[in-house]
Amino acid sequence: MSQTKVLLVDDEVEFTVSLAERLQLRNYSVQTANNALEALGLVYKNRPDVIILDLRIPGMDGIETLKTIKKYDPTIEVIMLTGHGDVHSVKEGMSSGAFEYIMKPVEIGELTSKIDKAQKKIKEG
Amino acid sequence: MESAYENKGERDLRLLQLRFIGKILAGFTHESKNYIAIVKESAGLIGDMIQLGKNSGDDQESYLEIIHSIEEQIEKATNLFRYLNRFSHRMDTELCTFNVNETLEELIALITRFANQKKISLEKNFQQDIPSITNNPSLLQLLVFHFLEEQLTGLAKDSSLMLETSFSNGSVLVKIIARGNYQEAESEKGLTNNESHVYIIDQLRGTIAKENDLISISLPVSLS
Repeated sequence: MSQTKVLLVDDEVEFTVSLAERLQLRNYSVQTANNALEALGLVYKNRPDVIILDLRIPGMDGIETLKTIKKYDPTIEVIMLTGHGDVHSVKEGMSSGAFEYIMKPVEIGELTSKIDKAQKKIKEG
Repeated sequence: MESAYENKGERDLRLLQLRFIGKILAGFTHESKNYIAIVKESAGLIGDMIQLGKNSGDDQESYLEIIHSIEEQIEKATNLFRYLNRFSHRMDTELCTFNVNETLEELIALITRFANQKKISLEKNFQQDIPSITNNPSLLQLLVFHFLEEQLTGLAKDSSLMLETSFSNGSVLVKIIARGNYQEAESEKGLTNNESHVYIIDQLRGTIAKENDLISISLPVSLS
């Protein structure tokens, strides 16, 4: 079975490095980006299956980044990552095509479950 | 009897203070959650390396690196807590003798996240030997915060904001210098306006001068 390609986007380098390693240990193929431009570059270069996207990243608003990704390829599934109970942004993200959202600090089991659900949705097309 | 100016000024000031505290707390809690998230992921990673079979003798260096990262995050969080604690105590008494540099440094630490979000660098250039002043430190922080917030709203990314202090002619000067381009004016939802600035600076018995990209606040060393 091919690995799910995950792109992890958050401005905290240490957070992305640790979480990426944890996901890799669970057999996901993970790339990381620490700002919106870097993330979009990786989306165009190495189309991921699932993107974990922090709503507050430097360079571009998280929601704008989400819209740009969905416009480029609507089949890429995006899970929003939020560090706060930002209900408005979560609602806006969901209505802009996000698959799911998850709160920080992340429960690894909850995150992998959501990634797997997103991958299942992609496969079922 | 209080004048209409004082009544309105006090009312607006309370609203501004509440909004200011709210903003500082929002930034603080966001930052704290990030530190906790990193610590949690780092601790989780050590657990994973042990549980998921990646624990050989060679991993000792990795463990030490992760532990070092956890310690760094705890230190950063502790510093932030210290700044918030000092910030909170600035409101204990209306008037006290304080060091302007320390007061501004605390403010910078608590709002750097907002600047980072906009990719604007927040820099400081403090004259180290300025005298302590007797005034209201919390009001000074509020005033500087609003000027910085206005600039952060207006400036385009990759700009910079410099906060300078100096001592001249018996007054402490605080300068806010913007360097960079301004983006199209965003609608300011805040309550700050020139009237509020005037009211606050009246309370501080200082003066404000605005000139292009430079805002200067002059404060007396003593209110007497």
